[in-house]
Amino acid sequence: MSAIIITITSGKGGVGKTTATANISAALAMQGKRVVAIDADIGLRNLDVVMGLENRIVYDLVHVVEGACRPRQAMIKDKRLTGLYLIPAAQSRDKSAVSPQDMIDVCEKLRPDFDFIFIDSPAGIEQGFKNAIAPADQVLIITTPEVSAVRDADRIIGLIEADEKGPARLIINRLRPDMIQRGDMLDTTDVIEVLAIDLLGVVPDDESIIVATNRGVPAVMENNSQAGQAFRNIAGRLLGQDIPLMEMEAPSSWLRRFSRLVRRT
Amino acid sequence: MSQTRINIKGTSDGLIINIGSGDWAGLLAELAGRLEQTASFFKGGRVALRVGPRQLTRHQLENIGNLLQRHQMSLWAVLAESDETRQVATSLGLETALAPAHPADNSPPARPTVERNGEASPEEANAIVMRRTLRSGQTVRHSGHVVVIGDVNPGAEIIAGGDVVVWGRLRGTVHAGAGGDDGALVCALVLNPTQLRIGRHIARSPGSEKRQHVVPEIAFVQDDQIVAERWGVK
Repeated sequence: MSAIIITITSGKGGVGKTTATANISAALAMQGKRVVAIDADIGLRNLDVVMGLENRIVYDLVHVVEGACRPRQAMIKDKRLTGLYLIPAAQSRDKSAVSPQDMIDVCEKLRPDFDFIFIDSPAGIEQGFKNAIAPADQVLIITTPEVSAVRDADRIIGLIEADEKGPARLIINRLRPDMIQRGDMLDTTDVIEVLAIDLLGVVPDDESIIVATNRGVPAVMENNSQAGQAFRNIAGRLLGQDIPLMEMEAPSSWLRRFSRLVRRT
Repeated sequence: MSQTRINIKGTSDGLIINIGSGDWAGLLAELAGRLEQTASFFKGGRVALRVGPRQLTRHQLENIGNLLQRHQMSLWAVLAESDETRQVATSLGLETALAPAHPADNSPPARPTVERNGEASPEEANAIVMRRTLRSGQTVRHSGHVVVIGDVNPGAEIIAGGDVVVWGRLRGTVHAGAGGDDGALVCALVLNPTQLRIGRHIARSPGSEKRQHVVPEIAFVQDDQIVAERWGVK
């Protein structure tokens, strides 16, 4: 086995990096892959909370880097999904505790034992971001359909191109079809037009994400979560499956629903 | 260390600042000191940085660019022996060689060439062609003309001594004729800049309403203000 190392980043905070990392990692584990998610947001760790593994942390990423433990000891095994592991960030330290080379070393040690290594990047373009990007084979940019988030994503894409990590791929998160229909939100085309990179998936705004996050159960494990389905599709596309983008429409007339059913068959 | 590690000399290509070996912070401080003493003399000049085998990060280059800018000098080229440093320079929109008309583009196979007609101005020999999307935070600073084949996104910036031509959507900030030339032009397939400056004039975009028909436009100074005209075959 030789893992693909994928970093998830955004520039702007609060657009869903951690949620995406938890959900895509879990979805790949559900498909039988061996996956480790690394929280690179040292000092502000929360991937462990979203994955519901907080109470089992003994060692963290900084311990691994400093040689206080082996990578294997810091990996928390998810009890619900076989093949899913988490290396949590340290909470009491800051980004300077880890260097880009440290991240490369840790990932290279893990690479032979996994199919995927996901790195949850902190917001911003400083040290933490550089650490998260350093080992990446691929980069996923996550943005919301807001001008400010798209602007930051654009900046990040430029930095990644300069770092020769590209081409990055895009996930648009928290799309609201009803707002787009009213003309109050950028639609997928508007975002792609500015960012000009490949689209990996679109995730609708979905309350079930908040519920799932608070409970520490990734939404991909819930069958009736729309966002969970979107993340499962993204995981499938990462595995090379040809999955069309989900149809996203605002709650609509009976006729439109009917026509959608017809189209699907 | 007593020996001079920084050497500034003037050439027909503008100033060349040679940076010797030693720790970066010390060198930067030394350069700042030298500029402090001699800034008024160098003011308005463009600067090529010769760094030898030293590897510079984007941050370090940006720092030095800012330092020069505080003294009203502009960094336009970085002469480096290291590939990485050259790449960083290119990504910041800087040249990596003294020869003019060298496109700051790292895809050599399809390098566009510019056909010139008889009445070429001297600046025309000094145009750069960028064949990529300029993204937020990226700045192109050039003493001659700038041609972009691609989009200029919001948050990106082009500062050119001459004209600016964008074969794509222009949505960032552009300053043509930055040396004070009111005769400079800006044209784009979609002219919708955040801010448009020509010479000493500044105009803001009239608004971001979506236009149904996209028409190439050309902007210039007329009667002391910037006007944009649709490009049409007459």
